[in-house]
Amino acid sequence: MGRFWRLVGAAVLALFSLVVLAQEEDDPVKEAEKQKKQLLEQSGGILPSDLYVEQGEQLFKARRGPKNASLEACDFGRGPGKLEGVVGRLPRYFFDTRKVEDLDSRIRTCMIRLQGFQPQDIRRSDVVAIAFYIASLSNEQPVTVRPLMPQEKKLYELGEQLFYLRAGPRDMGCATCHVTYVGKRAGVLPYSDILKDKRAASHWPAFRYSNDQAWTMADRIRACYANLGMPAPDFYSEPIIALTLFMNTQARGARMDLPGFIR
Amino acid sequence: MRRFYLPTLLLMLLGLASGQTNPSYINAELQRLIQAGGQNYANTLLRQAPDQALCSIHRNKLPAEVLGPFIEEQRRSIKYPADGKLMGDWKQGEPIFNTLARGNCFSCHVGSPLNIGGNVGPSLEKYGQRGTSEAMQKYTYEVIYNTWAYFPCTVMYRFGHNGLLKPEEIAHVVAYLLDPASDFNTKPALKR
Repeated sequence: MGRFWRLVGAAVLALFSLVVLAQEEDDPVKEAEKQKKQLLEQSGGILPSDLYVEQGEQLFKARRGPKNASLEACDFGRGPGKLEGVVGRLPRYFFDTRKVEDLDSRIRTCMIRLQGFQPQDIRRSDVVAIAFYIASLSNEQPVTVRPLMPQEKKLYELGEQLFYLRAGPRDMGCATCHVTYVGKRAGVLPYSDILKDKRAASHWPAFRYSNDQAWTMADRIRACYANLGMPAPDFYSEPIIALTLFMNTQARGARMDLPGFIR
Repeated sequence: MRRFYLPTLLLMLLGLASGQTNPSYINAELQRLIQAGGQNYANTLLRQAPDQALCSIHRNKLPAEVLGPFIEEQRRSIKYPADGKLMGDWKQGEPIFNTLARGNCFSCHVGSPLNIGGNVGPSLEKYGQRGTSEAMQKYTYEVIYNTWAYFPCTVMYRFGHNGLLKPEEIAHVVAYLLDPASDFNTKPALKR
């Protein structure tokens, strides 16, 4: 009898620990932390995202393009060459281009204006690496995006309207999942709560360990559209900047985790 | 959040008052923004249907006065297989239910013995226990053909209405769900 109950006890404990394990894997934040620790142990302290940051720093400081200039004089909103914390202030209006720009499009602007690149000669992978470098200098800084300029307010409104727009053969739109089905799963990951969870927008650009990809918010938005069976907006285009402005404004007050490390 | 809701609603009412029946969500400024996203993107988004516009305007919660006519219109769109059979061949329904690029049903519903289900939609585990009565077949068929006739503005694709599946293919999925001999009802559902 005693042995029987010990066995039952062991079985219950085993079941319980299984449940706990399963719960841990259900939480994408905990799962990512576990993966990060594992990767750090395997590589002796270097994450793949560190390599993108390193590559981005080299690209940022090197004299490149037809004008043989570096990007060090680029103004991300805090003045030329000031990079600390800038990711948490973007997108914002820039007087030199008279446009609201996000991190990606501002990097592109500086590659055109400072280095003399033609738009078609700008490599996406270079922009992503440079975005990772700049992001690394905003780690643990707060998101402070607040649309104040008329141009920013207008684009925020349009971003919000676009967020709720449903279209396409599957009747989809951003809010269809990221408002109505927050926390539910279709596939592996639960839908993030873009309106209420400040962490949702504050970890971009990010490294995705599940497919070994470096993504900025633009890549994330484009992948969402592809999942919805719709063509994605072009890189550096206004719909991407409008949606980013809308989402980053919801994240105001969050402490950034950059570059992000996600599934 | 709410400050854009009222003006759009007022604009819409104004549109109705001026004899304009098709609701529109995309104004001139939003149209210009969407066009800046490139031709393919704009072609899809700017072709927004009036019912998609209504769900966008009301953020997926239709007010009472809109709801009735909306459901009636969705019901009118439902078409049935030429042979009148709402329950087809469950073996042909299985790959439709379980393929991402076709029905993609398993992504949101628990119940398939082949794929781990999601929880965006209700669990369909052992759906066949509901029986194969004419009413049950009709309900299941119609929800798949045009779910907005039952659940306005829900996330589920309107498979028949939007031409994603043919009426005969929908009947195969109905069989996969309802046929007592279907693997869906005889084998255990995969869950997380």
